[in-house]
Amino acid sequence: MTRFLARRLLLAIPTLVGVLIVTFLLLYVAPGDPVQEMVGERADSATIARLRKELHLDEPVSMQFVHYAGGILHGDLGTSYITRRPIIQDVLERFPKTLQLAGTAMLIASISGILIGVLSARHPDGLFDRLSLAGAYLGISFPVYWVGLLFILFFSVKWHLLPPSGYGGLRHLILPALALGTRSIAFQARVTRSAMLDVLGSDYVRTARAKGLRERVVVMRHALRNALIPVITVLGLDFGNYLTGSILTETIFSWPGIGRYVVNAISRRDLPAITGSVLFLSVVFVVVNLLTDLAYAKADKRVSLS
Amino acid sequence: MMSTVLPGRTSAASRSDAQPSAASRALLLVLCAAALSGAACGGASTPTRHTLIDSRDNYDPRSLDPALSTDVPTGRAVSLVFDGLARFTASAELVPDLATRWEVSPDGLTYTYHLKSGVHFHDGSLFTASDVRHSFQRALNPATKGGRGWPLYPIRGAKEFAAGTAKSIEGLQVVDDSTVRFTLTEPFAIFPKMLAMPVTAIVPKNTPANFGEHPIGTGPWKFVEWRHDDYVLYARNAQYHDGPPKEDSLMARIIPEMSTAEAEFEGGNVDVLWLPEQATPSWEENDETRALLQSAPSLRLIYAGINTTHGPLRDVRVRQAINYAIDTRMILRRLMGGRGVVAAGVIPPSLAGYDSTRAPYPYDTAKARALLREAGYPNGIDVELWSGQTEQFPRIAQTIQAYLARVGIRVKLVQRDASSMREAARKGNTDIALKDWYADYPDAENFLYPLLHSANKGVGGNVSFYSNPVFDSIVSRARRTEDDTLRTRLYTQADSIAFHDAPMIFLFFYKEVDAVQPWLKGYQVPSIFTGQRWTDVYIARPTKTK
Repeated sequence: MTRFLARRLLLAIPTLVGVLIVTFLLLYVAPGDPVQEMVGERADSATIARLRKELHLDEPVSMQFVHYAGGILHGDLGTSYITRRPIIQDVLERFPKTLQLAGTAMLIASISGILIGVLSARHPDGLFDRLSLAGAYLGISFPVYWVGLLFILFFSVKWHLLPPSGYGGLRHLILPALALGTRSIAFQARVTRSAMLDVLGSDYVRTARAKGLRERVVVMRHALRNALIPVITVLGLDFGNYLTGSILTETIFSWPGIGRYVVNAISRRDLPAITGSVLFLSVVFVVVNLLTDLAYAKADKRVSLS
Repeated sequence: MMSTVLPGRTSAASRSDAQPSAASRALLLVLCAAALSGAACGGASTPTRHTLIDSRDNYDPRSLDPALSTDVPTGRAVSLVFDGLARFTASAELVPDLATRWEVSPDGLTYTYHLKSGVHFHDGSLFTASDVRHSFQRALNPATKGGRGWPLYPIRGAKEFAAGTAKSIEGLQVVDDSTVRFTLTEPFAIFPKMLAMPVTAIVPKNTPANFGEHPIGTGPWKFVEWRHDDYVLYARNAQYHDGPPKEDSLMARIIPEMSTAEAEFEGGNVDVLWLPEQATPSWEENDETRALLQSAPSLRLIYAGINTTHGPLRDVRVRQAINYAIDTRMILRRLMGGRGVVAAGVIPPSLAGYDSTRAPYPYDTAKARALLREAGYPNGIDVELWSGQTEQFPRIAQTIQAYLARVGIRVKLVQRDASSMREAARKGNTDIALKDWYADYPDAENFLYPLLHSANKGVGGNVSFYSNPVFDSIVSRARRTEDDTLRTRLYTQADSIAFHDAPMIFLFFYKEVDAVQPWLKGYQVPSIFTGQRWTDVYIARPTKTK
């Protein structure tokens, strides 16, 4: 277990270095000038030249990369060109809010998705199965901004049940989490359903039924556990989607998360803010993948980590 | 202009590009329809809160530090917490603020400002003339990395100080605690307007490294809390020297999506809403919602800079032909919800120098074709038209393309995000660049000089790369002229030359429209973005609790 973790963490280093290089180069070739974004619409070339020199932007790209990577090695993500705040401060302020949103969405999606999937699999082609299939198609097809605006329209504008936007307590969390989770509920339900159907048709389930076990025990204890493997895979993959998909959700619901931060940084060509937050998110991805692997082992004893 | 970084609702080039606003535009209509049909709109009851809530900012301020104020939300925030020596009213008039009055020497070179006494910063320290010196040095200091020192450059030695070659600003002299004197490099009659811009706001001597997060000024509102991408909260400064605000607190919410802001408005959760152009007609059709709308002519020009150094575009007849070929009135009505007036020059109707007798280019395709023929292009020309990806810009660009096609001008549309487009236009890589200009200060000079003077080619704002020695000398002379009547006449003259030379497609001067809750009193839509300081605004509560 420890060896597995150590190996995986070591393997993450080249991945992150790769991310760093690719992000840096992509930004370097992208059009748009960070210094012009700093000084505003009306500027003079002397000021622009001075700032470019101070930020090492007048040096060859290799030197710029050395300056930047040097800072990273010292644990410094740099200072935003635009806001003059340390990147790490901005990221740490926003990431927990995205995590909160993504976590809640994931919780809603997995609980209801798995539940719907299990129920559908119990009576394939029954009324519930058909309804949930139709619902799943809709859920997968609707883009999050559409769902989000519909939620705002009904839950806030029409029925005055929940606030339309902003960050706050549970009341503020429900709509964005539901909107973000909708697509995933549908997906989870379909994956769970097909996995359950596979398992329910297998010999050991027949044996369990033959033993005279109650149906609930057969389904929940014997079948579901084995059906969970593909579900966990989907969850792990989905988590990445949650973090990036949250950009739209955060915008619609004015949720002050990392997604909006990255988008703003990109449109202002705030190079350190972009590379810093992309690097941070890559670390999160690596960690999530690791956790997914650990979860496999937990769900299925046959999976060995060594 | 202030719309630079991530231009705000009230302004320019773009909303944040990856935002789903384009895709969700259709839904806006759904929301509007719901608003109009249901009791929701205007039906929210008067709130009992003592907090004014603004929703016009659609992205986080860059900082709350005046030295970094290059965008609209930052400028607005600075105008609440800080004072300048002067300030702009909602109708964009210049009035004294921390100064009681100022005098200019007969040669127009020396400005003496007499300051208010007994004014305290929010931290209790006393405001004196040395704070002015400190603030201006700080705004210019290379270490601040503000990059926006140009409003102070007219002061002798300011440029040298900004470049790091001088230890102090030669032309800035603290005479005594309540008097400060500026010596300029050359006469500059509109200099007092520079001192009402956010970047020249007065900060105390003690400005720690995190000043941009914890600003301290002398303004009507004290900074309380900033939740990034969520809101900035201010509390009433009871000691404000010009009469404290009427309400206890003010919250500037940051709402990136316009439909969401509308939903918040309909729920009564915000007091003021900036209305998007495409939503304007539906709000105006309904009596109930129309009653909530307030408007003001804005100091914003929407135009398309024609690069006067590119191929056929060098010929004035071709540029005129382009102007004749476009039905600007139709675009204004159909795509902008009628929000504005068609431009006949670059000086907005509300500013001195505007010539009401000059008519815009009429829509005349025959004339356009004739001009093209005359210029030697009977078969038309090929041009690239660049535009941003946000607001109505792509649709305006497509419409221009269709109009120009009718006279044989083949337009290739290029759409880029604001940053890429700005860079290309400044480098001179665009044939025609559709953009806008939002004035920093209310003066015709702020349109004529940056947009069209040859000293500002490229990064200075002249993306037409227009260079006309006669125009240049008139504008330069106007800048130096003290006499108001003569200066105004020079402005008009320069504008007339530019109109004839057509270094741009003259589109429209924008009209700002806000929806204002029925319970909100004392609010006036500002013509200039720093003009609304919320001091006279209050909520008319049904039961007096205050």
